[in-house]
Amino acid sequence: MEKALNRQKILLQHLKPTSFSSSQTDQSPSLSASICAAGDSAAYHRQAVFSDDVVLVAAYRTAICKAKRGGFKNTHADDLLAHVLKALIEKTKLNPSEVGDIVVGTVLAPGSLRAMECRMAAFYAGVPETVPIRTVNRQCSSGLQAVADVATAIKAGLYDIGIGAGLECMTVDSMGSHRQINPKVEIFAQARDCLLPMGITSENVAQRYGVTRQEQDLAAVESHRRAAAATASGKFKDEIIPVSTKIVDPKTGSEKPVTISVDDSIRPNTNMADLAKLKPAFKKDGATTAGNSSQLSDGAGAVLLMKRSVAMQKGLPILGVFRSFSAVGVDPAVMGIGPAVAIPAAVRSAGLELSDIDLFEINEAFASQYVYCCKKLELDPEIVNVNGGAIALGHPLGATGARCVATLLHEMKRRGKDCRFGVISMCIGSGMGAAAVFERGDCVDELCNVRIVESNALLSKDAQ
Amino acid sequence: MPVFKTPFNGYSVKFSPFYESRLAVATAQNFGILGNGRIHVLDLSPTAPTLSQLVSFDTADGVYDLSWSESHDSLLVAATADGSVKIYDTALPPTANPIRSLHEHTREVHSTDYNPTRRDSFLTASWDDTIKLWTVDRPTSVRTFKEHAYCVYNAAWNPRHSDVFCSASGDCTLRIWDVREAGSTMIIPAHEFEILACDWNKYDDCVIASASVDKSIKLWDVRNYRVPITVLNGHGYAVRRVKFSPHRRNVLASCSYDMTVCLWDFMVEDALVARYDHHTEFAVGVDMSVLVEGLLASTGWDELVYVWQQGMDPRAV
Repeated sequence: MEKALNRQKILLQHLKPTSFSSSQTDQSPSLSASICAAGDSAAYHRQAVFSDDVVLVAAYRTAICKAKRGGFKNTHADDLLAHVLKALIEKTKLNPSEVGDIVVGTVLAPGSLRAMECRMAAFYAGVPETVPIRTVNRQCSSGLQAVADVATAIKAGLYDIGIGAGLECMTVDSMGSHRQINPKVEIFAQARDCLLPMGITSENVAQRYGVTRQEQDLAAVESHRRAAAATASGKFKDEIIPVSTKIVDPKTGSEKPVTISVDDSIRPNTNMADLAKLKPAFKKDGATTAGNSSQLSDGAGAVLLMKRSVAMQKGLPILGVFRSFSAVGVDPAVMGIGPAVAIPAAVRSAGLELSDIDLFEINEAFASQYVYCCKKLELDPEIVNVNGGAIALGHPLGATGARCVATLLHEMKRRGKDCRFGVISMCIGSGMGAAAVFERGDCVDELCNVRIVESNALLSKDAQ
Repeated sequence: MPVFKTPFNGYSVKFSPFYESRLAVATAQNFGILGNGRIHVLDLSPTAPTLSQLVSFDTADGVYDLSWSESHDSLLVAATADGSVKIYDTALPPTANPIRSLHEHTREVHSTDYNPTRRDSFLTASWDDTIKLWTVDRPTSVRTFKEHAYCVYNAAWNPRHSDVFCSASGDCTLRIWDVREAGSTMIIPAHEFEILACDWNKYDDCVIASASVDKSIKLWDVRNYRVPITVLNGHGYAVRRVKFSPHRRNVLASCSYDMTVCLWDFMVEDALVARYDHHTEFAVGVDMSVLVEGLLASTGWDELVYVWQQGMDPRAV
């Protein structure tokens, strides 16, 4: 330490702004080392770039479409997944046999059947038989959990390249069919609360934390407005993979080939007056309506993760760095408050303060819980869900996490260097919350160090 | 123009005397105060304006300076902050390097210079107030020059006389040495503040430039050292490094704590030819290519290495 102080002393002497030739500098104060007070993120100790960082090099999604009535109502779930996987591989020119594992977040479909469908989807996408695939289910955060699982495995050294994905087809699979319930739940209140319909938990949040109907409707209007603006200005074009599929006319039964490349659940003309007319959907005197809740949707997303050294070697752009992930538990009766607990946990484990975060993507399961979380964390509304959320775009449960990663990373890329840290979070049915912190890739802007060295005559053979 | 991002703070950049597209960069973590160091060997792409890394070497302490061997195209000498002098062979993989680690200096080694005429030896200048002369094949230094009363920041060989070099020190003197003599042959009290760098003119073996904490660069004729030939004012903070052009008699480049790199023509009245403000932190390393006229390279604490042609904007894409 003494050595460091000596070095600092010698370098500081170089900076003493004393010049014997000019007298006007006489009054200048003497320099001393102090903590840098510049900028927001400057307070954060700068992390060096490590070659074993887990980086995200590509993130894509399908359009998100209304369940049963939207663009994917006649599309098989495995086709949705196959399309994003295929696009991910093609756009990055990755050799699919190098992928160590594919993890798919999926919620409502029967577990084993869905696992099989995912394996089949991989084959449709041209992934060779040697690449394994599995599913993960942490309810609404399954997509984010899939990304976190892959990042964890890469960090642990299990493999170098992995794909985190998400898939949900709410046209086919629906919520709410419980099997026979253990009578024991009557003794355990919190266990019983796990069975509450999600809408009731939303009403609980609104009631317990005082979120008014007006606040909820306002959040819904804003979500639609932002999503419509983002779609109109083509912001989603970078992240959406067009899917060629078919639509069957329910009356005539005729099939029509279509290409779906736009989210179809956004209503640009949503306004307070119209929303106020809607009746509460879950409770007679409640405030949660179809207009201020997330929509049932179909969709899929996929994210390609790898070790930084591998990305550099392959000359792939580094879109973002995976910094931290936290899942936390909360009271199941107010499961919507999950992000308010998970975000501080994830931010802390990344070594940051909440004020260091430049962009948030918080899932709008219900306007009530979304409004509560933003208020509780005192977030600036200008940096939360800047391109709308699940109320406008829809909430395909298992795919939402992967969808958010694609939206967040592309928005961070657009915002440039000032946007350094981004957070994704969502609440989880049965009382949990999950959040992850991403840092922008440091070479996204103008610097491009990544280039494959064609000839390296300097290195000896055994070094190659 | 090509840019390369280094993970640590840049300290020095040097063009290879053998390959026109190759350069080496010395870097140190946490501004060289505490932490590791890394040497990057970079190649300019012949077609695209990009720099790609051929190989890099990690060190346990910051690397403050380096110099390419004048006799072997793959050898590098590195001056590190832990007092060691390390020799690297870029033809060998990082695991086989360094091929030599010479521990004699008791404090930070701040600069190194390879003898360009005799091509068998090199100098190191250290904060332990000494300069040491080394050859590649010997495990110990050939000689130690101890006269300076404070940190020696820089030592530079005369481009014509293979036994003569000059040194710049924080004791405010510039000294000229002849290896064949017992002590220094000339002491020039060049500035009233610490002197951080010196270099010989490549066309006139009597002209030296000195750069100081007093923000000025002074040019000296060793035959008449009582007054400087000229004083170059223009930097806003201490001048960290000065380098004469290998191609133009009157031109020199400098970089400074004021974050700029300047080009000067010391024979004309408006001496400042160009000021480049592409760095956003202290600019501490600058070099001019011997093989390509007008090609400049710089590095700084903003962790960036720029290579550009004189007259162009280093930041232009």
